[in-house]
Amino acid sequence: MMAAAPTLAAWPPLVAVAAGPLDAGLTYNTLVALAGVATVGFAAGVAGTLALLRRRPLVGDAAAHATLLGVGAAFLLTGRRDLPTLLAGALVSAVAALVVLVFLRRIARTRDDAATAIVIGVSFGAGLALLAGITARGLPGGAGLEQFLLGHAAALTAQDALLLAAASCATVALVAVAFKEFVLVAFDDAFAAAIGRPVGLIDTALVALVAVMVVVGLPAAGAVLVTALVVIPPVAARQWTTRAGRMLLLAGLFGLAAAVAGVLASTLRPGLATGPLVVLTAAAICVVSFAVAPERGWLWRRSTLPGGEESP
Amino acid sequence: MTAVAAPILEFHDVTVAYGRRPVLWNVDLAIAEPCLFGVIGPNGAGKSTLLKAALGLVPVVGGYVRFFGAPLDRVRGRVGYVPQRETVDWDFPVSVMDVVLMGTYGRLGWLRRPGRRERDLARHCLDRVGLVGLAERQIGRLSGGQQQRVFLARALAQEADVYLLDEPLAGVDVRSQEQIFRVLAEVRDQGKLVVVVHHDLRTAAEWFDRVALIDMRLVATGPTADVLTPDNLRRTYAGRVELLEEIGRAVAERGRTP
Repeated sequence: MMAAAPTLAAWPPLVAVAAGPLDAGLTYNTLVALAGVATVGFAAGVAGTLALLRRRPLVGDAAAHATLLGVGAAFLLTGRRDLPTLLAGALVSAVAALVVLVFLRRIARTRDDAATAIVIGVSFGAGLALLAGITARGLPGGAGLEQFLLGHAAALTAQDALLLAAASCATVALVAVAFKEFVLVAFDDAFAAAIGRPVGLIDTALVALVAVMVVVGLPAAGAVLVTALVVIPPVAARQWTTRAGRMLLLAGLFGLAAAVAGVLASTLRPGLATGPLVVLTAAAICVVSFAVAPERGWLWRRSTLPGGEESP
Repeated sequence: MTAVAAPILEFHDVTVAYGRRPVLWNVDLAIAEPCLFGVIGPNGAGKSTLLKAALGLVPVVGGYVRFFGAPLDRVRGRVGYVPQRETVDWDFPVSVMDVVLMGTYGRLGWLRRPGRRERDLARHCLDRVGLVGLAERQIGRLSGGQQQRVFLARALAQEADVYLLDEPLAGVDVRSQEQIFRVLAEVRDQGKLVVVVHHDLRTAAEWFDRVALIDMRLVATGPTADVLTPDNLRRTYAGRVELLEEIGRAVAERGRTP
């Protein structure tokens, strides 16, 4: 079932690849997989920017931790382990987790952070238990599902990568069209409501976009770390600009760079999980941004006398 | 019944509650003529809530609000709004121009982006509040008074006929205060209604044509000089010892001006 599909895992280390003659089919697959993951990184940064501007960086975290449950359930219910099926399951459980989150906040009147912590803990625990059960029973094809825990982009087929890229492009297109409205609501929701905008609907769309990106980012970064791809690039981008539009673009590029660097690094050693490498790359970009970005960066503020650059 | 022109803004027996706790009781208030109208009362009296009820931002549990005799949804384009300054994050990555352009979004709709006409209008509105030179500045790098004027410029860009402003003079320096009041008076002189939630009794007596005193219900309303009487103020601020001094000052002020 998975034997025929050429994968990144089948690759020799990059160095050898660069040196030796290339098999045309494998090259195609690798490039497509890389391009797919790059698109995912870009779209995750873009969707994450909206979430950060709306001050809801953690909705993605709740959705992400719930995805394992959906992956396990989809496998048990269908007996299949192709990526579209598993990701469909992940999306269902991610959305279910967000519905529970809203329920806890609105109806049970739980504090926002407490509700998020509950949803993360419970859904993640249930997901881990389900996957452990599948592994313990030795169900055929059940092995390898734990790759969704930390990400394993090397296992992507070209077809999978195209699916991820398509979902990412759709996300970016939607953000591009509705960016003005997202910024309006994120900056001043009372004013947006006063001029007749359906703030609840726009917020729902935002959360849905983040949920989709978290699910699409699973193969690249895994359930535990994928939110980093949604949160870290926008935070780094904010350091460099005071305009939302540029922040969006920059966050996308940072996400893209982190995803590509992480995936390339993980191909150096077969079996290496992608998630931690993606996150470490993103974190490195963030640290550099905190340090050297003009005006907001640590070095800049240190070298400027207090109040010295304030006057017009 | 004879056909009388509908009031510009009418609250009919409006009651508002947050959860089970009512914050405004049975407010009956009609404003028929364009004027500079002050909504005055102590903290927690429901002044902001009154504006939010008019705009449909909080659910009205009883009564109704009409603009020009119609529900808000039919005349939304004619109603401008300035929320309280501290309700937004001023570190948000937008420029002064970006914020003022948001005033044109109501007319632009969802998909159209601001074009030349909108930018010209925004620049004109910034000019009216004296900030045209700061159009490209990030909003966090403004003083409190300048931020308040940006909000005012955004409301002007709505090109509305009724303006509802929530504490537009809170935390504002004297220069900005003068400027804001002068712009509001200009807007009134163009035949528009300007409703201002306000906390300072002294400036209230000086600038507003009419006022309403609010303390969870309507205490009194009418021309400013008739309403800001010691008796009405005492009833509005009853039991709030810390405000007695302010009342005394306001009353003394009224004694001096005709």
